[in-house]
Amino acid sequence: MATVAVPQLSGYHRPAVLDWITTVDHKKLGILYLYFTLFFFAVGGILALLVRTQLAVADNSFVGNDAYNQIFTMHASAMLFLFIIPVWAGFGNYLVPLQIGAADMAFPRINALSFWMLPPAGILMFAGFIVDGGAADGGWTAYSPLAQQTGVGMDMWIIAVIVLGMSSTIGAANFLVTMFRMRAPGMTMFRMPIFCWTMLVTALLQLLATPVLAAALVMLFIDRNYGGQFFDPNGGGNVVLWQNVFWFYSHPAVYIMILPGMGIVSEILPVFSRKPLFGYKAFVFATIGIGGLGFSVWAHHMFTTGSVLLPFFGFMTFMIGVPTGVKIFNWLGTLWGGSISFPTPMLFAIGFVSMFLIGGINGTYSAAVPVDFALHDTYFVVAHIHYVLFGGSVFAVFGGLYYWFPKIWGRKLNERLGKLHFALMFVGFNVAFFPMHMLGLDGMPRRIAVYADSAGWEALNMLSTGGAFLIAVSMIPFLIAVVMAFMRPKDQPDDPWEANTLEWATTSPPPHYNFDSLPPVRSERPLFDARHGDEAH
Amino acid sequence: MLRMSLPRRVRLLAAATAAGLLALLATGTASAIQPGGITDEARLMNELFWIVTIAGLIVFALVAAALVYAIIRYRRKGDELPPQFHGGGKIEVAMVGVPILIVIGLFTISMITLVQIDDKADDDALTIDVTGFQFSWQFAYNLNDLGTNTDPNAEGTIAVIGTPANDPILYMPVDEPVEFLLKSNDVIHSFYVVDFLYKLDLIPGRVNSFTVTARETGDFRAQCAELCGTNHALMRFTVRVVERDEFDAWVADEAARQLGEGTLVSSSGTQGD
Ligand code: HEM
Ligand SMILES: [Cu+2]
Ligand SMILES: [Cu+2]
Repeated sequence: MATVAVPQLSGYHRPAVLDWITTVDHKKLGILYLYFTLFFFAVGGILALLVRTQLAVADNSFVGNDAYNQIFTMHASAMLFLFIIPVWAGFGNYLVPLQIGAADMAFPRINALSFWMLPPAGILMFAGFIVDGGAADGGWTAYSPLAQQTGVGMDMWIIAVIVLGMSSTIGAANFLVTMFRMRAPGMTMFRMPIFCWTMLVTALLQLLATPVLAAALVMLFIDRNYGGQFFDPNGGGNVVLWQNVFWFYSHPAVYIMILPGMGIVSEILPVFSRKPLFGYKAFVFATIGIGGLGFSVWAHHMFTTGSVLLPFFGFMTFMIGVPTGVKIFNWLGTLWGGSISFPTPMLFAIGFVSMFLIGGINGTYSAAVPVDFALHDTYFVVAHIHYVLFGGSVFAVFGGLYYWFPKIWGRKLNERLGKLHFALMFVGFNVAFFPMHMLGLDGMPRRIAVYADSAGWEALNMLSTGGAFLIAVSMIPFLIAVVMAFMRPKDQPDDPWEANTLEWATTSPPPHYNFDSLPPVRSERPLFDARHGDEAH
Repeated sequence: MLRMSLPRRVRLLAAATAAGLLALLATGTASAIQPGGITDEARLMNELFWIVTIAGLIVFALVAAALVYAIIRYRRKGDELPPQFHGGGKIEVAMVGVPILIVIGLFTISMITLVQIDDKADDDALTIDVTGFQFSWQFAYNLNDLGTNTDPNAEGTIAVIGTPANDPILYMPVDEPVEFLLKSNDVIHSFYVVDFLYKLDLIPGRVNSFTVTARETGDFRAQCAELCGTNHALMRFTVRVVERDEFDAWVADEAARQLGEGTLVSSSGTQGD
């Protein structure tokens, strides 16, 4: 469906930089989000390589113990708060209005505000490295009382995380209003693209959970600076209280970090299987179920504190496996009986399903409370985190980039380089993270800067470090593909993949305000209907 | 490589074998690595570990086989549209039912294990007072609370205190319940003995406790498992499980050294090294 470009107002030309800084266009903001978050993915990645280099051999002194604590804390903080959470806001900003057939987000200026809160927060958090005492070093979980002991870098971290939380809270409100109020004619809630559904549930989680984190962080700030005693037992406070409020946010946050990735995968699999998503409604209800249950499992991070109602939280944690299992069925059922092709986005989507499967299974170990007593805070958990957040979320990020690159930038990424990228990343990922299961079973605690030679952990750690560097190498073909794409003119048609959803019904890239006209929406696949008529129903 | 012309059954077999091999590989490495545990409680937990592992591997093998099979079997061959199947009906009931059955099963089994290992020790079990501090450990023994061989009139405590450079050794007798009381006055630490398959946090403002009965003698590696500051990685210690008479001898020696000769009336009399 071709679109006539709307002529730009002439007479006054803003410089491009000013244009980007002042834009309230959801597509430009989406692109800014993507640049910003991918930058911090690189920063977090470099910190990860420092971590892996330090751990490659026993008794290493490459970075000192103090520096190590800062490095892994900032690795996780960058990856979670500055990359994976806002990257979904980036995809969401670009895609939600397009997918529901709207001209923009409901509140474009608020949208710009949410984005522009990120850079100062990122700078503030990382400026910790140049102040006295260094950056935050209490882990991204900032457990009290340890978090009361460290330097001013910790205060900077607290303020930065509060600001990031505000950004995602107002962003969430914006997404919700956009999806509730601005859908195209004919698009009922149950015809909304599945990515939008996952953004909707994510936004709900953000709206409900993030303020709790903000409250906890303010309490911590008061404890540190103004003699508050919320978490200090000597003044009548309670140490474990911090963990309760922190995880009350941070477990739902785990789903904030993965649900949109599931949404992306559920867009890609049907397109390249040429079938609808198997069990659309089941998928939607499973997503809502994960969101709801997500609020009742926080204490599974605290089984070893001795102050948790173990059976309840063990049960709820197991229960969250049910909607997760439903999704695995959704994806398998979509592939089953399809006509499957394997361009790069599809490879990443299938990679996601297989790695997320492992991340789900190794998670049940921690739900079985007595097994968690052994595995908690060991490298087994580090393996689990990364099978979910890297094998899951990051694979979805790249799948989404390869998939929507033609739409966003009007050019396609080179297929061969893309496949090479996928292959290297898939192998590197498993080499880096699978051995961590064994290290964890053998008792290697997480967050340690050094281990003794006598522990016998060196070989597996060396292997894991090799895998980490292979992941870094896998970024080279990706970067070459991006540069090559930008050196060519925009040549992509509206719908290069034979896709299903409305963003493919306009030009690549779309004009201001997105659409000249919309195809009728009679199912969750309006473009499929337009292509095939009723032949397939 | 598998070619598209392979008959269906061969592809199915290939998928199943690939998944099975992967699962076997994982089991092999897990059993090579996973310590079986040296306490009664650890052995129970180890059984649970294997139940979870086997359940996980079955799920993995089935799903992985289905995935590999689908990818091979349903490669795009021509341009025609496959049947547009939306799901629904019985299969969606199975989609919810199967995971529910699996998780309820695993939950029930874990709770049984939890109850078994939670059995409280009787009051006359040996008690060891563990205090974690930045960055080492103190293990204290009250002379009138030494378990099976206690002189109720003995007075005083002996303590082993480590430093980051000098890991302390925790002595405990084999074949009898030992209760650990865990305390901290600075930040949170976690008492983690790998071969107990167990850890429990030391939390300022509260006392945590647990009880185990060790069944093997020897030296076992242990360390702090909760980030506690700069030298967290150096909070290591050794658990030395010894026969009862060796334990008594060690206590007598330490008591003599720390509290002066004659403070401890040791009834066992055997002198260790
Ligand atoms: C190049 C890829 C990566 C490598 C090699 C890597 C490596 C590591 C390692 C070795 C640790 C453990 C540090 C320790 O406990 O001492 C760690 C922790 C962590 N990583 Fe990564 N990581 C990578 C990517 C990611 C990504 C993409 C995410 C999230 C989106 C992530 C999130 C985390 C989190 C949350 C922790 C826990 C930190 C803590 O204990 O406070 N990592 N990573
Ligand atoms: Cu959680
Ligand atoms: Cu520690």
